Amino acid sequence: MLAFLDGISRSLDAYLVIAGIMFAVGSFGFLARRNAISMLMSIELMLNAVNLAIIGFGAFIPALHPDASVIALIVMAAAAAEATIGLAIVIAIFRNRKTPLVDEYDAMRQ
Amino acid sequence: MTLPETIPLLGIGWDDLLFLALTGVMLGSALLVVTMRDIIRCGLAMIVSFGALAGLYVLAGAPFVAGAQVLVYIGAISVLILFAIMLTQTKDAPGALVFQTQAIPAAIAALVMALILAITVVATDWSAVADRMWTFTGKAPAGRDELGVAESLFQDYVLPFEVVSVLLLAAVVGGVFIAKRERRGDA
Repeated sequence: MLAFLDGISRSLDAYLVIAGIMFAVGSFGFLARRNAISMLMSIELMLNAVNLAIIGFGAFIPALHPDASVIALIVMAAAAAEATIGLAIVIAIFRNRKTPLVDEYDAMRQ
Repeated sequence: MTLPETIPLLGIGWDDLLFLALTGVMLGSALLVVTMRDIIRCGLAMIVSFGALAGLYVLAGAPFVAGAQVLVYIGAISVLILFAIMLTQTKDAPGALVFQTQAIPAAIAALVMALILAITVVATDWSAVADRMWTFTGKAPAGRDELGVAESLFQDYVLPFEVVSVLLLAAVVGGVFIAKRERRGDA
């Protein structure tokens, strides 16, 4: 029934295509959502998609095997720093403007 | 009793079934994150997505990264985001319009980007090996220790490791400084 999917977890292409779809989902969320925290969550989704691609490369290309894990860990730490600063900025703006919706942040175009 | 090589009726291997299930959960909950109206539920769906992604890491032979994913993303970043949601949501926010006016062009652009990425991936020769080199149940590749992560992290990548620690310190200090409540009176 699903025989055409046999061996899908043993090809690099499957991992990379899924990472691409995940990245596209994240970019849609970043462009389309009004809430600043939703946009930050979409950024996290995109970072995770990139990490999945890195781990996929590490699993299938012999020269990259341990390096990919280390690079993914460093990306993860950078993502944690980004989330900290991004959420702090959102909270600081919310304290001034009393709204989390980004299309009401119009102080710089008045 | 041993399990059969491929699953009866489906005709795919067990690891393929696991891969498809984890992928479905991950992409489905990622779609829920970007489309649901209630932002708390978006945050919870994001946790599910991260968990399924940790499973994919294990399947791809990176169990240490999977552990770090659970600790950092599910344990730390998700909690941070949920706290930020609770600090910033007003009563009328979930009832208001969820999407910007450019949602439909954004959806088209994301779809086109996914298609381009998929075509590029399939059309490129990545010179990849035919099978995963190492899975959690298999054997480590020849000439490597169990994971190879520790050697790599503390020999080849020790400078990025230290730089990242400084980056995290700066992020903590900066986050506290930006988010702290300014007292009346001092500038």
